Amino acid sequence: MLRWRLTFFLIVSAPLCIFAQEADTLKAAQISSIITLPVVRPSESVRLSSQVTVPTQVADVLRNFTGVQVKDYGGVGGLKTINVRSLGSEHVGIFLDGIQIDNAQNMQVDLGRFSTDGIETVSLFNGQKTHRLQTAKEYASGAAVHLNTERPRPLNGSEVMLKLRAGSFVTINPSIRWDKDLSSSITLRTSGEFLTSNGKYKYPCIDTTLVRENGDIKSLRLEAQLFGHLKDSDWQVRAYSYGSERGFPGPVIRRAMGFPFSAERQADQDIFVQGSWTQDWSKQYSTALRFKYSNNYTHYNTHPEKNPMAMPYDLHYRQQSGYASLAHSYIIASPWSVDLSTDVQYNTLVSDVGQFVTPHRTSFTGALSSRIAWEKFRAAAHLVYMGAWDTFDTPNAGGWSRDNRYRDAWMPSVSLFWNPFKWVEVDAYVKRSYRLPSFNDLYYSQMGNSSLAPELAFQFGSDFRFSFNSKVWQAELRLSPYYNRVTDKIVAIPTSSQFRWTMLNIGTVDVTGLDAKASFLYHINELNLSATFRYSFQQALDHSDPESQTYGNQIPYIPLHSGSLAFQAQWRKFSFIWDTTLTSGKWSRTANIPDYYIEPWSISDAIITCSVLPSLSVGLNLNNIFNTHYQIVQGYPMPGFNALLTVDYKF
Amino acid sequence: MLCGALLSAFACQKDPIPEVYKDADLTGEKVDVSSISANVKKIFMLNEGGMGSNNASLDFLRISDGNYVTGVFKKMNPDAGAGLGDVGNDIAVHGDEVWMVINNSGIVEVISAKDETEIAAIQVATPRSIAFDDTYAYVSSWAGAYANGSYDANGNYTITDSKNPKGQVYRINLSTKKVEGSVEVGYQPEGLACYNGKLYVANSGGISSQLPPNYSYDNTVSIINTKTFKVTKNVEVQVNLKNVYADGTGNIYVTTLGNYWSIHSGLYMINTSDAVKHIADYVSVSSINNGTIYCIGAEEEFDWTAAKTWKAWSCKNGTKTDMNLSVSATSLYSLCAVSSSTFLIGDAGDYFNPGSVSLYNNGSKVWTVTAGVCPGHFAIW
Repeated sequence: MLRWRLTFFLIVSAPLCIFAQEADTLKAAQISSIITLPVVRPSESVRLSSQVTVPTQVADVLRNFTGVQVKDYGGVGGLKTINVRSLGSEHVGIFLDGIQIDNAQNMQVDLGRFSTDGIETVSLFNGQKTHRLQTAKEYASGAAVHLNTERPRPLNGSEVMLKLRAGSFVTINPSIRWDKDLSSSITLRTSGEFLTSNGKYKYPCIDTTLVRENGDIKSLRLEAQLFGHLKDSDWQVRAYSYGSERGFPGPVIRRAMGFPFSAERQADQDIFVQGSWTQDWSKQYSTALRFKYSNNYTHYNTHPEKNPMAMPYDLHYRQQSGYASLAHSYIIASPWSVDLSTDVQYNTLVSDVGQFVTPHRTSFTGALSSRIAWEKFRAAAHLVYMGAWDTFDTPNAGGWSRDNRYRDAWMPSVSLFWNPFKWVEVDAYVKRSYRLPSFNDLYYSQMGNSSLAPELAFQFGSDFRFSFNSKVWQAELRLSPYYNRVTDKIVAIPTSSQFRWTMLNIGTVDVTGLDAKASFLYHINELNLSATFRYSFQQALDHSDPESQTYGNQIPYIPLHSGSLAFQAQWRKFSFIWDTTLTSGKWSRTANIPDYYIEPWSISDAIITCSVLPSLSVGLNLNNIFNTHYQIVQGYPMPGFNALLTVDYKF
Repeated sequence: MLCGALLSAFACQKDPIPEVYKDADLTGEKVDVSSISANVKKIFMLNEGGMGSNNASLDFLRISDGNYVTGVFKKMNPDAGAGLGDVGNDIAVHGDEVWMVINNSGIVEVISAKDETEIAAIQVATPRSIAFDDTYAYVSSWAGAYANGSYDANGNYTITDSKNPKGQVYRINLSTKKVEGSVEVGYQPEGLACYNGKLYVANSGGISSQLPPNYSYDNTVSIINTKTFKVTKNVEVQVNLKNVYADGTGNIYVTTLGNYWSIHSGLYMINTSDAVKHIADYVSVSSINNGTIYCIGAEEEFDWTAAKTWKAWSCKNGTKTDMNLSVSATSLYSLCAVSSSTFLIGDAGDYFNPGSVSLYNNGSKVWTVTAGVCPGHFAIW
């Protein structure tokens, strides 16, 4: 997407809330007891205010989180996935209001598709999230990003918010949101967003300048949500539809003049309906029921009639998924409580790929959690069981003999919180988690290997937070050392011919890292100033095969050092944000040799906002101000300087 | 390789004062080349690289001083900023020229064998393999799998038929380096070989096996009369054909990849009356030297997770002979028979990072050096 960058400090309207405890957003958790507090806090959390210019995509919010690497293929429609502390995107669960956005086909969620409209907080959890009434899947992810919807404020009648963004790459992005109280306890929200962009930008290629072609996108999002709350219960239902049509510009390679890089197009239609209902049955006992149905259709076409170099693929995929979760939380005796969550899910994938087996997966996840919470000390132990049963319509197709197969795994974890002094907080976790092989890993006719085992991640980490404040200033320092080990990593390997690939559980990666963040806030009269420094050290070493030449090398796309500096000033109606991101060099291969070295880069962005009226604000995002030419993924140049103007109007 | 005889005659005449080439300063790993005839000047290795990674690369083993040098195309052509390109799929020597087929770049690259400097870059849509006669280079192309078209005078390609999935063979004039016509062959043609006015083209069907309406491999060798440049005959051999060799006596050998399931890879011979004979199964890599075909394969070839026991064998005049060659490779990827007792073997390792090239002499491994990603194709100069 446009090079939006945001910092913690977008919390212009309420700058002090950065020091507030993460609030449990579930209304049902109103049992006013310390025991209902989450054991650990998110590693990073951003509160997006709808009144200010914020990044349009969730991917841009996550970009600056410590420990997060956004793998960005560039451009408005380019794929954006995240690695967290060198755990691949398959280990990172993306949750919308506690319900996972999943993709059984390849286990990657394109964060470029999720708009920040209507999202109140974006939080990252390393290790174990430990809120009450979580779904079992929330316990089962190696790392998790939580997107929480902004709940409607009590209204007298209705409220309409209009937003128009426009800027570089001929981007036009209008959106509308309309909240209306249907009764004293039910609110209806409808929203829509349209995006169009030609995706063209210049990039240097050897001694000339080329324009990125075939990167245009059109998308339309339509949503309706119902929010309801009664004295002891709380429910919401959401119907979501996202359609897009986009081009993939392809990698920049040597190509004969007259042949385009790519003519690939993809059309998507994603629909889901999800809902939740939480109820406090007594002061001790609460439940949460959640469900989701999703239907994702993809049409991928390489358009060989426009590109004689293209593989001639014209393929259609439809994924469907049904999901239900029931969570119980019971306070046995203060300070001791237990939670039990059980999830069931069904996934299937239909495609016209040659000799496709049409897999079905029925999975069960169960999580038992026991917690003790005092004000100064909290501890939780969790045990998760995950089992998945795969069957096929055509057990023997594409030359593979497929066995119906059950895969399962036990995932224990422990989380601790200790607040020894007012100015010190310590979190720690140790966790084992697995990710299931995706349908592509297992059943893609050219490369599947149906005997794959789940991939294991062992994680150990801690957070040390120090905070100091006076009447006019506040400071916080967070230091988070961690260690991750990924074993049985699923790796694609071609067989005796390049045409036939297979997947094997052969990789091992050891990750030792440190995330650090220091923030400083100063406010006097109408002036608020803040500065945040972030730094991440990640040593992620390939320990797969001691005989290999790459043993002990840094794994691809993980920089040893990365960091950012953010500065924000707010005075009366004006706010100004400056953000500089730095990344050290990294390699695109495990062979850490010059051919595969990706240069370090630094990007600076600025956001200027003015609240012209209480109901009208105008913002200008200036991205990549120094027009740096860089690549995050080798062969995929990123855009240079670009700008976006935003107008927000509310009535 | 076809021109070995011609070259050695030329080499003998000029022996007294060896020419100093511009690449003489390039050095790499020093290795023992005492088992290789002094008539050989260099052995080139075209590393395929990974698709979309633009990392095809050229190495050579210089026999005069035993240096294995990597990345020589980039070193000798520093102005060619994009490097060799994306997916090096075949390499062959003609005279003092090296011709390389850069599949996903749509380029046939011609360089000097003496110093690796660029002579020509010729546009061909999705080229796969190359062979020569005295007038032309013949390049098989999958262009038809995608969309057929033609070139105008400026070299621009216009698609004329986007529905025809059949492949093409383009011919390129050896002196002008210009494409002079094409002929339609079977589905996704791969290897080809020239002998006695005939061009033999192996059709694989590698893509059509995955797509409607066929969902099946091709199993034919197209025979082209090089005078008329027309297909005269299609000979059925076995599914998914790969390499073609002419043994110089009229026999044509064809390797197959099989269907990766029930039909194994193998070697077949087409004799002078176009009769097909099955020689043996299990061919992962193959090479020809002096009319003999050398093959290495494993019976566990379709058991992707099993450790492979590599068996080497040779074939002359349609007769198979087992060889005593103990091959150890993570991912056996290419073979070059330098003589009947000396072999170079490419190992792709994890296919993602640089692989290696090893020399075997009298049955056992002598040395191993690091090559590029997916070391796939050798050529002897």
